[in-house]
Amino acid sequence: MRYETVIGLEVHVELATDSKIFCSCSAHSYGAEPNTHVCPACCGMPGMLPIVNKRVVDFGMKAGMMLNCHINRTTTFDKKSYYYPDLPAAFQTTQWFSPVAVNGLVEIETKDGKKGIRIKQIHMEEDAGKLVHDIREGTTHVDFNRTSVPLIEIVSQPDLSSADEVEAYLDRLKTLLRYARVAECEMAHGTMRCDVNLSVRPEGATEYGVRTEIKNMNSIEAIKRAIEYETARHIDAVENGTEVLVQETRRWDDIKGKSFAMRTKETAGDYRYFPDPNIMPVVIDDTWFEKIKASLPEFPETKLARYTEEYALTEYDAKRLCESIALCECFEGAMKVCGNAKDAANWMISDVMKTLNARQMTYDMLKLNGETLGKLIKLVADGKVSRPNGRKILDVMFDDSRLDPEAYAKENSLIISTDTGLVDKVIQAAIASDPKAVADFKGGKEKALMALFGKCMKELRGNCNPQELRTLLIDAINKID
Amino acid sequence: MELYLAKGEKKEKTVALDDLFLTKSLPTTAGSKMLDGYMSLFDAEVFTLLSNSGFALGGKAKVGEFAIDLLGETCYKGATEKDGKLVYAPCELVKDGEVLAALCLDANGAPRRGAAQSGLVYLKPTYGTVSRFGLVGVASSGDTVGICAETTDTVREILSVIAHHDDKDGTSLSEDACISINKEKKAAKVAVLKDFIAEAEADVQKSIYLTIEALKKSGVEVVEINSDEIAAARVAWNILMSAETCNNVSRFDGVKYGYRTQNFTNLDELYTNSRTEAFGDLIKTCILFGSETLSDKNYMKQYDKSLRIRRVISEKFALLFKSYDAVLLPATSKTSYSVEDVKENLTLCYEENKFTAPASITGLPALVAGGVQFIADAFEEGKLLCLAQIIEQEG
Amino acid sequence: MDRETLRKLAMLNQLSLNEEQKASVIAFFAKRDEELGVLNNIDTENVERMVHVCPIETVVREDVIDQKFQREDLQKGAVDTDEGYWCVPRVVE
Repeated sequence: MRYETVIGLEVHVELATDSKIFCSCSAHSYGAEPNTHVCPACCGMPGMLPIVNKRVVDFGMKAGMMLNCHINRTTTFDKKSYYYPDLPAAFQTTQWFSPVAVNGLVEIETKDGKKGIRIKQIHMEEDAGKLVHDIREGTTHVDFNRTSVPLIEIVSQPDLSSADEVEAYLDRLKTLLRYARVAECEMAHGTMRCDVNLSVRPEGATEYGVRTEIKNMNSIEAIKRAIEYETARHIDAVENGTEVLVQETRRWDDIKGKSFAMRTKETAGDYRYFPDPNIMPVVIDDTWFEKIKASLPEFPETKLARYTEEYALTEYDAKRLCESIALCECFEGAMKVCGNAKDAANWMISDVMKTLNARQMTYDMLKLNGETLGKLIKLVADGKVSRPNGRKILDVMFDDSRLDPEAYAKENSLIISTDTGLVDKVIQAAIASDPKAVADFKGGKEKALMALFGKCMKELRGNCNPQELRTLLIDAINKID
Repeated sequence: MELYLAKGEKKEKTVALDDLFLTKSLPTTAGSKMLDGYMSLFDAEVFTLLSNSGFALGGKAKVGEFAIDLLGETCYKGATEKDGKLVYAPCELVKDGEVLAALCLDANGAPRRGAAQSGLVYLKPTYGTVSRFGLVGVASSGDTVGICAETTDTVREILSVIAHHDDKDGTSLSEDACISINKEKKAAKVAVLKDFIAEAEADVQKSIYLTIEALKKSGVEVVEINSDEIAAARVAWNILMSAETCNNVSRFDGVKYGYRTQNFTNLDELYTNSRTEAFGDLIKTCILFGSETLSDKNYMKQYDKSLRIRRVISEKFALLFKSYDAVLLPATSKTSYSVEDVKENLTLCYEENKFTAPASITGLPALVAGGVQFIADAFEEGKLLCLAQIIEQEG
Repeated sequence: MDRETLRKLAMLNQLSLNEEQKASVIAFFAKRDEELGVLNNIDTENVERMVHVCPIETVVREDVIDQKFQREDLQKGAVDTDEGYWCVPRVVE
């Protein structure tokens, strides 16, 4: 018999806000010293009350809109209770009764074609803390830096049916959420995590099989392996009766390449949800709703089409730029100022992206102001600054996004000299200092020119058009008898 | 008779805070062994407001464990008794002249019972007009800061200091709404909930009728009415209060602060033994009951139902306040409780709170004066204090 | 409330009860069960639930970092801390 796999995903995405969801502690917990981004509220001490961070709701709405969801204009928070050391108040504030977004649709593309994946809901909630085991033997160390960092949980319908589709779906979520600038979605940083719900059934059957949930997956490769393993395990159980499948939570051991049933308490899953009396309903009025709607980015496909059609970029260049909304924004800003799409794309790809790579930064980390980059491109295009000096200025702009390239060029003598007398003087001095090179060049050794050219360049600190300098230098040598 | 858990400054303008108000200078125990010696890193907003107005902290008054009990009898330091009768420590401090006023967390009516039995003036303002920031949360949807004093004027004075909007409390009302409760108003027509009175003992009834006579003498019109749905407040409130309390005290587990058992070999034992050793029987019962009302099996039938009953009762009151300025009912069934009463029935507070639950579940302002309780419409504290003034003058 | 349900309920809430407490809790639940009729007598078919007594909307806060508490102060009340962490017995997953 042939079987089909039925997969639903619960994807947790950490929102890229500055502060936490209910208190004002910093939400940038990655890599920080333990328990340095905490306050009485996120340590579970009594007396503090939750105040909702507006940007969390902004981002929740944005994510919902990007995923074609209906936005609940009155959205509420609820409490979910359980004991675990990473949950300091023994409850998590989440959305159970009226999540911010429901009923969405995400289109994915695999080698088998296009497919729509339905989104059941997106809810906003607080993250839990982090546990570190065995720093001291037999002890678990608890760090609350991540406690109350805002998350959205994106719950799909069980519309996925293979590891490839899951990969495409996660990629798509990542792209859309990054485009909306609501999240980093970096599995390696834990800013995107995933629970996989899986069951198998004979092809064409309408009933679902027994479902297991693999919790806390944090790499695409591991997710794919886990799906293949679980699928095989389920089919084996159904077909050969190798084991009796039970609805349970499992943990994936990527080293062993196996999933294991998690040890759960008898009372697990009894969360006793109830509406949070301390948080009033969040009411999204028309002004707020429209403002968020207006702030949505162009979808990646639309952008790509526009870049190739309107700006006549090559498909390759356009695709590279569209990899990141930060690159797109910078490119579009630069283009507006310099007026030349090809030039701007060229700078983006051969200079900006290269610098990012060299600095080991992701494209989304780009802080460069597009308009300032445009000014720089224009300076070079107008022959005011040489291309090599332009690159130097770009490097400085990476560290100071407000830098004015022209002012900087002037202050640091990086403007191409329009003083022909100076250039002549420099050329004559170079010729005089190295008669052997002059003679060699005249004797047909083309390479000998390089020494003279380099000397001039150095003397002029790069502030000249290399092409022009070369011509002037050759003219000057030729004038010597 | 020990009334303070910790003593503060002795000054003329001195207030006592019950031990659920967090203060940096004195420990806050919430009446529980769980928080014995607990030092807060911040002050309750109301205390900050009082300090800024020149009031000093006379001390932290004893309170029952998380203030859900009858009259402070579940305090881990023991009940407060006077001549074999239970007394409410914060009220007693006022009565003894130790402090000008006491601020109490009104989670389940204990301060109203205390004030009624000691003949003081007590006001529980409209929910949302006084910040809950810096209070140990108990029944969050009803928790209100109440004021207990010897005179109506003192209550008025303290109210004007503490009724303000606070950005740190998400249920805090607008500044305009908060300060509107200080407005002086007249109360001309009072409805008496006669079936509630029938549930009180004879001497309570007697004193209520004396108060009614005094009101009438001052020209207040008094009409007897049936309580109808209001009588269901207790059962619904017990469900909401227990569930919210269960959730609020679940954070106390012996890990981050507070009581930690010596007796454990694994995490489960650390949690269970810390909580089992530190919590008293009443709060344990409350936790279990509250948790069960939220279970999948009971949620709709009990918790959700109670939330809807809350609306029914609120609407009933709204209807009454179209015709009356205030509603009169007892605050307790007895003029005093003996220590034996709570020894025999540990959970007596789940029954005696029938008188206090209507104002708790609706968040309406409630006054105790002359041993009697009045409830008014939201923001109509002026009417309640007008009645207090009449009783003060007539009494 | 039966003993088995109570056992699980206590476990869920990290409490353990002695025999006397169990009996008194069971009696307490019986009393509360009897009272439920009071609620059922009121028709709430077309009544919205009322979570909050004040009919206001949430006031959101701007996304601004404000950290004023020190780790050492926050950990003063803890019995077991180590290298800036709170500590618990090893969690078994």
